[in-house]
Amino acid sequence: MKLTFKAFLLAAAVAASFSAAITAPARAVLEVDVNKGVVEPLPIAVTDFLSADGLGTEISGIVSANLQRSGLFAPIAKAAFIEKISNPDAAPRFDDWKVINAQALVTGRVTREADGRVRAEYRLWDTFAGQQLAGEQFFASQSNVRRVAHIISDAIYERLTGERGYFDTRIVFIDESGPKNQRMKRLAIMDQDGANARFLSDGRSIALTPRFSPSRQEITYMSYEGGQPQVYLLQLETGQRELVGNFPGMTFAPRFSPDGQKVIMSLLRDDGNSNIYVLDLRSRATTRLTNSNAIDTSPSYSPDGSEIVFTSDRGGRTQIYVMNSDGSNQRRISFGEGTYSTPVWSPRGDLIAFTKQTAGEFQIGVMRTDGSGERILSSGFSQEGPTWAPNGRVLMFFRQAAGSPGPQLYSIDLTGRNEQAISSPNFASDPAWSPLLD
Amino acid sequence: MRFGVVTSTVLHVLVIGAGMVSLSSPKPHDVIDVESLPIDIVPIEEITRVLEGDKKAAVAETPAPTPTTRPSVVPDAQRFGDNSQDTQAPPTPDPKPREVETAALPQASPEPAPRPEPVAEPAPAPAPVPPPAPEPAPAPPAEAAPVPEPAPQAEPTPEPEPKPVETAVATEPALPDTAPRPEARPRPPQPVKEAERKEPEKPQRPVTQPAQKTAEKTDDNVLDDVAALLNKEKASGGGAKRSNEQAALGGERKTTGEKLSQSEMDALRQRLGSCWSIPAGAEDGDALRVSVRFRLDRSGNLEGRPEVVAGGSSSGAGRIAAESAVRAVQKCEPFNLPADKYETWAEVIVNFDPSDMF
Repeated sequence: MKLTFKAFLLAAAVAASFSAAITAPARAVLEVDVNKGVVEPLPIAVTDFLSADGLGTEISGIVSANLQRSGLFAPIAKAAFIEKISNPDAAPRFDDWKVINAQALVTGRVTREADGRVRAEYRLWDTFAGQQLAGEQFFASQSNVRRVAHIISDAIYERLTGERGYFDTRIVFIDESGPKNQRMKRLAIMDQDGANARFLSDGRSIALTPRFSPSRQEITYMSYEGGQPQVYLLQLETGQRELVGNFPGMTFAPRFSPDGQKVIMSLLRDDGNSNIYVLDLRSRATTRLTNSNAIDTSPSYSPDGSEIVFTSDRGGRTQIYVMNSDGSNQRRISFGEGTYSTPVWSPRGDLIAFTKQTAGEFQIGVMRTDGSGERILSSGFSQEGPTWAPNGRVLMFFRQAAGSPGPQLYSIDLTGRNEQAISSPNFASDPAWSPLLD
Repeated sequence: MRFGVVTSTVLHVLVIGAGMVSLSSPKPHDVIDVESLPIDIVPIEEITRVLEGDKKAAVAETPAPTPTTRPSVVPDAQRFGDNSQDTQAPPTPDPKPREVETAALPQASPEPAPRPEPVAEPAPAPAPVPPPAPEPAPAPPAEAAPVPEPAPQAEPTPEPEPKPVETAVATEPALPDTAPRPEARPRPPQPVKEAERKEPEKPQRPVTQPAQKTAEKTDDNVLDDVAALLNKEKASGGGAKRSNEQAALGGERKTTGEKLSQSEMDALRQRLGSCWSIPAGAEDGDALRVSVRFRLDRSGNLEGRPEVVAGGSSSGAGRIAAESAVRAVQKCEPFNLPADKYETWAEVIVNFDPSDMF
C-alpha cells in the first residue's frame, strides 16, 4: 500500500513537472525599463510647398521659421534633403528621410483658385512609423497668405507636441522712436513673428500699456491725449476709439476680463489713493474692488474669471496679492526678497508671471497661484512687463540693455530656455499677446 | 576655617573610598570565539550552466523539453595534468603516495576493498599509460562508492597497471582482478569543454605549440606560477583537468539559457534612452508612461510594428507619448545584441517612464 502511494506521488510529481515544462513558454519576454530620455528639439524636415510661383516656398519658409523659433523643433537644412518631393499627396520615400534623421516631414501644395483665392494644403508624415499624421487644406485670400502659414504651423505644433500652438497671433506693443529726451511712443501691432507691423496711434501723445481683448478685435490702453492719463478702447477693424468711463482722476493699467465684457483698471483719485475698479462695458456700471490706503494696481483676471491678481504696497513693499473677483478674500502670495510688479495670470490658469526687482537687477519669473514654486526665467539690467502666449508656454517681455538707447522685445520659453529677440520697426516696449485669431 | 578643611577632607576621603570600593573594574567583554570558515567565491553561472554534451554518449535520462546549455569556449587543454588551466610548466610528480581507486565490477571476485580515495589523479601525459581500451569517451574518475556504469565504460578485464602508479600497487603483491580504471589517455585532446573552473577574469593565454615552448619557457613558467598561485592550484603539473563528470547526451540545438548580463542590459537601456525624444511640453511624467512590445529577428531588426501594451491614449498628450515611444524603438533598430542569446531577447517589452526626469 505504501509503495503504491509513494509511486503515485512520484508519478504525480513527474507528471506535474512534465506538464509544467511543456506549458512553460519556450522563451521569456525581456523586460527593459527606460527612465531617461533625450530632451531636444524634434528634428523635422519642412519641404518647399509645390506652387507655380514662389508662394509655396514662402509659406514653407514661414512654417519653418515659426517651428524653429518655438525652440521645440529643429528644422533640417534644405541642402541635406535627399528626396525631391514632386507629389505631396504620395507617400514619400521614408528611408531617405530617416537617413537624415528627420523624425517628421511636412509636404504641401499651394494653388490659386479660379476666384482668386489661394488654396494651401499640407501633409505631416511620421518617417519612422511610415505613415501620415495629419493633413488639411485651407482657403485664403491673397493678403492672408501669411496667416495660412501660421495656421499650418499651429497644426503641426499641436500634432507633434500635444500643446496648442501660438503662431496665429498678434502682438500689440508701444513703438518707441526718436531721441531719448523726445521719445515718441505710439501704439503698434504686428504678427508674432514681426511681420505686418502697423501703427495705431499718431504718436502725438504718449500711449501706454495696451492690452488685447480676449473675445473681440479690441484693444484697451492708456493715453495722455486728454491731458490726464485715461483708459481708452480701440476697435481694430474700424479704428474707432472711445474713452472708457468718466472717472475723476487718473485711470491706468487696464485689462479685459476673460469674457471681454469688463475692463478692470486702477483709479487714482485726487486724494492720492489708488484702488482697483471694474467697469462693465455694456452697462457702464463700475464696481470698486479694493479699499485700502495703499497703492493697489496692475490687476489681472484668472482665465476662468473667478479671481484677480494685483499688486499692493499695503505691507510696505509692493507685493502680489490675489482676491476673488468680487473683491473678497484678499491675500498676499509673494513673500520673496524684492519688489514685485506687473503680475499676469497664465491662460492655462496654473501660473502667474511677474517682474521682480531685487539687488539692483530686474527679473522675470513665474510662480504658482498660491505663491509657491517661484522660478526666475530671466535676469537683466532693465526688463519687465511679461505677457503670456495663448498656450501658456511662452512669455514675451521687453528689455533695455545697459547702454542701449531703447528697449527691445524678447520671448522666452516657460523652461527659461530659448530666449529670442523679436524684430520690430523701431524700439518696442510693453507687449501684449493677442489670443488665437479665429 | 579648620572646621571647613576637616569636613572637606573627610568627605573627600569618604567619596573616594566609596568609589574605590563600589566602582570596581568593569566586567570584560566576552569575545565569542567564532570559527572562521574558509569561503570560496563561486560564480553562480558555473552551477546554473549546463555543459554541452557528447553526441555519442549514452542517454542518461530522458531530456525535459528545455534547451540544454552550451558553455563558453575554452581552449582545449594541450597538456593534461591536475591544474585548472593549461600551463607550460612541466609536470612534477607528486611525491606523496597516490591512492588508486579500484572499480567494483558486477562480477567482482573477492579482492581487497577498493581504495577510499574518491578522486584518483590521472597520470601525467608523457608517462606510459595502459593500452587504450576501446572506450569512446574519456573515462572520468568514478565516485568512491562503486556505481553501476553504462556498458561502454571500463572493461571489466583486468589490465596491466600503469607504471607510474606503482606506489599504490606496491601494497598489493598479486594482480587483482579489478583494475584501476585508466584515467588519463594519451589520445589527442577531445573536444571536452572544461567549464567547471572557468575564471573569465584571468587573461587567457593562447595555447602555444610545443615548438615555441623553449622560447617563452621562462616567462610562461613565471606566469604559470603566478596564475597558479592566484588560482590556488599547483604551479606545476601540466595542463588543465578534464571535465570530471560524465558526458551527457548532447542536444540538437544548443543555447546558453542565460539571461543578458547586466552590462548588456545597461547598454540596451542606454541605447533606447538615447533614441527616445521626450515630447516637449509634457507637464508630468504620468502621461508619458508607455510600455511597448516588439519582436526582433536574429539580426536585431524589428519584426512588424511595435505595439503599445500599456499607457498612451488615442488623443492628446497620451497619443504623443505613445508615438514618441514607438518612434524611439523604430529609430533604434537594428539592435546590437549578442546573437548567441537570441532566445532571451527575441521578444522585448520596454517600459518608458520619465517620471524621474520631472
